[in-house]
Amino acid sequence: MSLTSRITHHASRFTHHTSRFTFDILLVGVGGQGVLSIGEIVAEAACRRSIPVNLYPIKGMAQRGGFVKAQVRLGREVTGPNIPQKGADLVIAMERSEALKAVRFVRPGGDFVLFDHVWVPMAVMLGKADYPTPEQVSEQIQEAGGRMHYLAPESLPLYKGVPVPANIFVLGAAVGHTRLADVLSPSDIVQIVQTKWTRSTERNVFAFQAGLEASIQEP
Amino acid sequence: METKLLTGNQALALGALHAGVRVVTGYPGTPSTEALACLLALEPEGVYVEWSTNEKVALEIAAGASWAGQRALCTMKMSGLNVAYDSLISIAYSGCIGGLVVYVADDPGVHAGMAEQDSRGFALMSDLPMLDPASVEEAYRLMRSAFELSERVGSPVFVRLVGAVAHSQAPVEVEEPAPIPRRKARLVRDIARFTKAGSAICTAQHRDLLARLEKAARVIGEMGLNRLQLASKTGGLGIVASGVTASYLEEGFEIAARFGFERGAVSVLWITAVNPFPTDEVRALLRHSSTILVLEELEPYIEKGICVEARRMGFTGRIVGKLDGPFERVGEYGVEQVVRGIGAALSLPIPDDLFQGSEAAESLAAERPITFCAGCPHRGTFMAINRAIRKAGYKKNEVVVTGDIGCTILGMNPPFHTAWTEVSMGASVGLAQGFVHGGAETPVIATIGDSTFFHAGIPGLINAVQHQVPLTLVILDNGWTSMTGMQVNPGTDETFQRPGDRRVDIAELIPALGVERFFIIDPFDLDEAAATIQKALELPGVKVVLSRQECAIQAMRRGIRAGKVRVIPENCNLCKLCITHTGCPAIGIDEDTIVIDPALCYGCGLCAQVCNREAIERVGESASQRVSESAIERGSEGARE
Ligand code: SF4
Ligand code: SF4
Repeated sequence: MSLTSRITHHASRFTHHTSRFTFDILLVGVGGQGVLSIGEIVAEAACRRSIPVNLYPIKGMAQRGGFVKAQVRLGREVTGPNIPQKGADLVIAMERSEALKAVRFVRPGGDFVLFDHVWVPMAVMLGKADYPTPEQVSEQIQEAGGRMHYLAPESLPLYKGVPVPANIFVLGAAVGHTRLADVLSPSDIVQIVQTKWTRSTERNVFAFQAGLEASIQEP
Repeated sequence: METKLLTGNQALALGALHAGVRVVTGYPGTPSTEALACLLALEPEGVYVEWSTNEKVALEIAAGASWAGQRALCTMKMSGLNVAYDSLISIAYSGCIGGLVVYVADDPGVHAGMAEQDSRGFALMSDLPMLDPASVEEAYRLMRSAFELSERVGSPVFVRLVGAVAHSQAPVEVEEPAPIPRRKARLVRDIARFTKAGSAICTAQHRDLLARLEKAARVIGEMGLNRLQLASKTGGLGIVASGVTASYLEEGFEIAARFGFERGAVSVLWITAVNPFPTDEVRALLRHSSTILVLEELEPYIEKGICVEARRMGFTGRIVGKLDGPFERVGEYGVEQVVRGIGAALSLPIPDDLFQGSEAAESLAAERPITFCAGCPHRGTFMAINRAIRKAGYKKNEVVVTGDIGCTILGMNPPFHTAWTEVSMGASVGLAQGFVHGGAETPVIATIGDSTFFHAGIPGLINAVQHQVPLTLVILDNGWTSMTGMQVNPGTDETFQRPGDRRVDIAELIPALGVERFFIIDPFDLDEAAATIQKALELPGVKVVLSRQECAIQAMRRGIRAGKVRVIPENCNLCKLCITHTGCPAIGIDEDTIVIDPALCYGCGLCAQVCNREAIERVGESASQRVSESAIERGSEGARE
């Protein structure tokens, strides 16, 4: 039985889960992009629906601009923190080059949301090292069997003239365009966003909603 | 009962609190830091919590509290256990009175740097019980068991978490117990127990220690900490899983079922108490099974124990693990090891590529060496060291610069390439002396951060002074224990010390240690700093250079900036000197000029000091004037935006 049918067999999608389903999410990006916040929102949204959850963030040496990764595993009462290779139902990558490090984890047929932000390391800036092209990344994702959902950084909408937080926008896009929608409820996420950031609530809710409706492009 | 989303560290800390802990000490170290940090933030009434100078001191404090009858917790990463271990062995011989729990966090997969040390080996060597929770929820629950075990047996107890559990967040059912009354201190003078004078005392203590470990095995059995589930039929597979590996079992069973695995036919032993060895359960499992699969990360300690029991019982079946099997002693375990192990033990047709994603993608990713944050004062210090070496007439690969633990080690990375070594807390100072005695004919430099210096650098410096070893020690003092997330250390400004605590000033310490050639520099004043270091390199004897500016991240959190810079695009010819010298993440490249991200820029002014076309200008007073010799001393009076 495929994953989708396992999930949709639930009579009511967002009520207490009595039968079993699982959903594994891998988040990658660089420090300062709010990757871990996405994980925290998803974990909390799962908690609200009494879905078992384990969120495992890896920050390494938490310097700004370093590789950041978080794994969210939903639906298992007892679960190990790490998602195996070819095991993620959904990958959300916030940075083009770091997306490549997530490719081996996507389940064939799984969703892969790529926010094509570019954060070049110094060596690349100085012309001493190569940087992957969007085509290279999308080719790798497709080769791994991932269903790519591409978001250009330019698609980030403005709120009162200022770009909205990319992480909330991308989370919105993931809920709007992938099977994450079968697991989490958008209204829960809106509520969590509202309580998490009491100061820029409207901006964040706007970002999430814009993400939900964002059109997925070709790279 | 309340369900809370907690990290493993928080769960462990809360578990200790709910078990009535009274004294909590530790030294920051990833992945253990948050356990103590969250208690410090909580300021629970009647509980004493501190960051100690190092792990050895922390453990001694916790042991003293336990010997006065209180429940005490001591927290550290695995490297810290090495530091504390000298005292730990002696404390193990003496045992404890109030419950004493030592929390150690291991880092399989090495996400935080340092070693893949398996601290279970330390429990074996010290004959102390160790619990190894498999999940966040267990980390909470087992703390009560750990304190109970410790007091029933009279022995310190280890609780070990791996980073994946310590850092994971999961819902935990938390139950606040009725307040536990404070115990009155009970002061017991018993030199036969609390001293090590003479062979009679020590051998008696050794016997007591072994007896306590034996008793621990009984108590652990009564508490049901290890769980054995035997299959209805004998002769099948027996699986032994310890710690975090146990949390992957169910998932592994589901996957293996697709290849003919039958859950009902296997027996399982979940080991939570990894020391003492669960002999009874292992023997029962061996009697019941024809093949054994051992799932444990890093060292094959349990596997070896099983081999011993197997031999004693005449078990002749296969034991699949690391000694005779598919697994490595390196890295983390996941569901893959469960499935592969089952496949190997039962000869199931598990496809090779089941967990084999494409490596090709990763090889296309750009390397991203981490560097100092924008505005980090260490950037200026390493730029100054590099310039001083050059001006003193040496090439960079001619001058040994030993590095040390913490943010300062990033001086090994581009664009500085300055530090040569990283060993352990404080080791830069000793290593430098070794290079001198080893015959280095060029100057030898040691670099160390403030907290690392307090932790274990001071004895090394005293040694250099006593033996008058010619070297230059550069102490990069940013006022905080930064790498682990900004903890207060002895040198942190008085303003941020706990009420009643006082600051220990490195600037007062150095002359008191007998250092005659002592300089203080401002790392944001490149010319002056480089000239001072160069002078130090050319002088004989022990030289100490104290480089002082507060950690930029901490200052920026309080809205402070060192100054302000502005790019003058007309003057910039994109020679990129600013980038190649500073590597500052706030600097980027536009069409025909560099650009500076005002949100990241701290205004340290280093980029302006290396630009020779006046394309970066300092706005207002120069940074080095505004943030004088020590921003730390001036605390929150620094320049505000
Ligand atoms: S700012 Fe100065 S150092 Fe940097 S690229 Fe432009 S001219 Fe060169
Ligand atoms: S002044 Fe220059 S080097 Fe300093 S933080 Fe700003 S951009 Fe970076």
